[in-house]
Amino acid sequence: MSVIGKTADTASSGAREYLTFRLDQEEYGIDILKVQEIRGYEPPTRIAHAPEFIKGVVNLRGTIIPIVDMRLKFNCAQAEYNTFTVVIILNLRNRIVGIVVDSVSDVMELAVDSIKAAPDIESVIDNDCILGLGSVGERMLILLDIEKLMSSVDMGLVAAGG
Amino acid sequence: MGETYQEGAGADFDLSQFYQIFFEEAGENLDQMEHMLLDLDLEKADDEELNGIFRCAHSIKGGAATFGFSDVAELTHQMESLLDRLRRHELQPIPQMVDVLLESADASRSLLARHQAGAQDEAPSTASLVRRISELAAGMVPAQGASVEPPKPQSPPPPPPPPAMQAPSPVLAVAAPAPSGARRLEVRIGPLDRVEQAEAIKELFRDIPGLGTIGDLPCDDAQMRLFAVETSSTDSDLLDLFAFHVSKEQVRITAAAGSAGGAEDAQGDAEVAVVPPGEAYGFFSNAPGAPAPEAVAQAQALQAIEPASVVTRIVPKASAEAKAGSQAQMESTTIRVDVKKVDQLINLVGELVITQAMLAQNSLGLDSAEHQQLLAGLADLDRNTRDLQESVMSIRMIPMSIVFSRFPRMLRDLANKLGKKVEMVTLGEATELDKGLVEKITDPLTHLVRNSGDHGIELPAERLAKGKPEHGTITLSASHQGGSIVIEVKDDGRGLSREKILNKARERGMDVSDQMSDADVWQLIFAPGFSTAEVVTDVSGRGVGMDVVKRNIAALNGTVEVDSSEGYGTKVSVRLPLTLAIMDGMSVGVGEEVYILPLSSVVESFQVNAEDVNTVAQGSQLVKVRDEYMPVIALEKIFQVPRFDLDKSSTIMVVVEAEGNRVALLVDELLGQHQVVVKNLESNYRKVPNVSGATILGDGRVALILDIGGLVRRARH
Repeated sequence: MSVIGKTADTASSGAREYLTFRLDQEEYGIDILKVQEIRGYEPPTRIAHAPEFIKGVVNLRGTIIPIVDMRLKFNCAQAEYNTFTVVIILNLRNRIVGIVVDSVSDVMELAVDSIKAAPDIESVIDNDCILGLGSVGERMLILLDIEKLMSSVDMGLVAAGG
Repeated sequence: MGETYQEGAGADFDLSQFYQIFFEEAGENLDQMEHMLLDLDLEKADDEELNGIFRCAHSIKGGAATFGFSDVAELTHQMESLLDRLRRHELQPIPQMVDVLLESADASRSLLARHQAGAQDEAPSTASLVRRISELAAGMVPAQGASVEPPKPQSPPPPPPPPAMQAPSPVLAVAAPAPSGARRLEVRIGPLDRVEQAEAIKELFRDIPGLGTIGDLPCDDAQMRLFAVETSSTDSDLLDLFAFHVSKEQVRITAAAGSAGGAEDAQGDAEVAVVPPGEAYGFFSNAPGAPAPEAVAQAQALQAIEPASVVTRIVPKASAEAKAGSQAQMESTTIRVDVKKVDQLINLVGELVITQAMLAQNSLGLDSAEHQQLLAGLADLDRNTRDLQESVMSIRMIPMSIVFSRFPRMLRDLANKLGKKVEMVTLGEATELDKGLVEKITDPLTHLVRNSGDHGIELPAERLAKGKPEHGTITLSASHQGGSIVIEVKDDGRGLSREKILNKARERGMDVSDQMSDADVWQLIFAPGFSTAEVVTDVSGRGVGMDVVKRNIAALNGTVEVDSSEGYGTKVSVRLPLTLAIMDGMSVGVGEEVYILPLSSVVESFQVNAEDVNTVAQGSQLVKVRDEYMPVIALEKIFQVPRFDLDKSSTIMVVVEAEGNRVALLVDELLGQHQVVVKNLESNYRKVPNVSGATILGDGRVALILDIGGLVRRARH
């Protein structure tokens, strides 16, 4: 119920556009309005004692931003860094964060009625951070509440309690 | 209010474009006057200082009169009269004079602000100030003072009398008091075949009542005559009248030097008078108080077939001249720029530097004989970009003295009000701080200084009884410390009373105990509504202070600490992060990584021999440097630096110091020294232990800046 409420809330204006990306075999979608830009991967500056999935910080035109590898966060089998590795720069409530994904696929428009509530499942992703499941033909799209996901404590991007 | 003069100017001359310049200049003059007044030594007042103050008042008066702000002109005129008597040593300066002059400066400021905002409502009355000044100027004789008081401007205000009228002009034939709205002009007639024709003009003034007065001025040309005229008629009216006797082409009307407002010598100096308009007075000659260009335009217009077109042609020229004049003045002043634009500039220059570094990298392999010109160009680019980066980065930084300089005045007023004697000492005024921070830190600091003056410093009698000097001292200091800027407000007053604070806290039902540490007790004063002052004064004591201070500083990611000892004083330390400070850094290499040390904390560096390092029980290492043992911190260990090249190892010690303690950092190599822009990690990430911030290296990579204070604390505990 809460999931439906949330979906209705964020998508009340009818169809929304989602940027879809791949992590291993899974396909995810995030609100296109949260995306600032897409860049190639460049090795970040490592930060000591940070969780493994925080690769470090990079310089984005004078701003220092952290880079989170979603493949490591979501326990993907492998996380390679090559010329095709992509970083999505997200702009979330005055914070800028880059996420590393395998590839960016598409921008898709999804109507509210094509989004189904996600069943409660065991996963590394907190259920609250999943807006729902979108079906595009035969493919299943996991729609993430990327803002909530990035600001959650176990992401380690914000100081605990802050 | 500008219209009164524009009527005299007889042209649609737009003054408003100069208002802003006037307001800025007047503001600067008022600031300068305030500073000089505060520094004035009443016992043996320096002539130069008194003259300086006089000049400030004079410039404001001149400008205000020119632009028709009669209330400001009136007030500053009175100040000027008092200052004039002071500088001529007819009066001995006394503290009351400084008080009243400071108050008048404040009043002028608010009057100017009112004009600037274009407020139409009734102006706050300055009558009592004017009376007090004139009483003081008259040597404290009230009866005389009353007669000196000039009529106050009514609403609607009458055309303000130009200030120079007050100065007696010995050359004037008739020294009758001028009617209101009178202007002092110089009329030049000629060249004439028979100079006596001009004499007839004087008869006009005798025959026509209310026209004004006329007097002879010396003239060096035998064919010309020069008159000093005081009149309320417009130039065109005068020209029409003069046309009875001489042709209009032979008449030139200019403003007398005095009413132009700028010249010091308002005594009708012939030298000044014969200078043609547009050459003598710069900016002010084109202000409506000096209708010269229009008069010339009119004279020329008569010769033209289409007069209107000529006038419109001349007027822009006049304003162009005015612009040139004002530009010369702008050069020495400042411009206001949106901070966002500066930030954008800084980021763009950063990008440029990175691009330049990349080009330099790519050109390394080129044959220097074959590509000589290209390489020379790249070398130029390298130098220019670095210079550019340096100057751009310095734009945002302003010294703390900007903030500190406002406190002496405030404390002086406060001490006067409370009957206390307070001295202020400032340290580290040159510490540079980001402009954004400076703006935000001013209010909390004001609060802290006011608190120290009100609650901290005791009354002189009380201080003497305690064996302290009669003067309380408030020390303001600023310094860079461990990646922060620390600003301290310290007083030698009565200090905080632990007991009183605890009692008050219990009264308010707060959870406290007698076992609390001092530091915890002092933190209680930051609770909303907390005040231990017995008397609520209009200065402080309402308890709305400290919690707001704390909140404001926390909003800047800063912290406030209080340290106090009852009977001896209180110290409040405000610690602020460097959001965008420029720092001299030393870059060191550890493994493949680069870290930056603040150069200010680096003491020395040396190659270490294995036998110089000793270990203590738990494996912590100590190194002996010139008879002193200090802890060793291996950056490799602390930052978990991965080792790819096992041949390399850390063999260089860098001794760093923070808060009086020294530690030796073990690094692989020293890479160099350079200025770095300190970037905040926390704006997009979070606080990282032992790291105070980050910076962008020449090749675009990010390097972390070490928090030496944190490292030292870690090693010492």
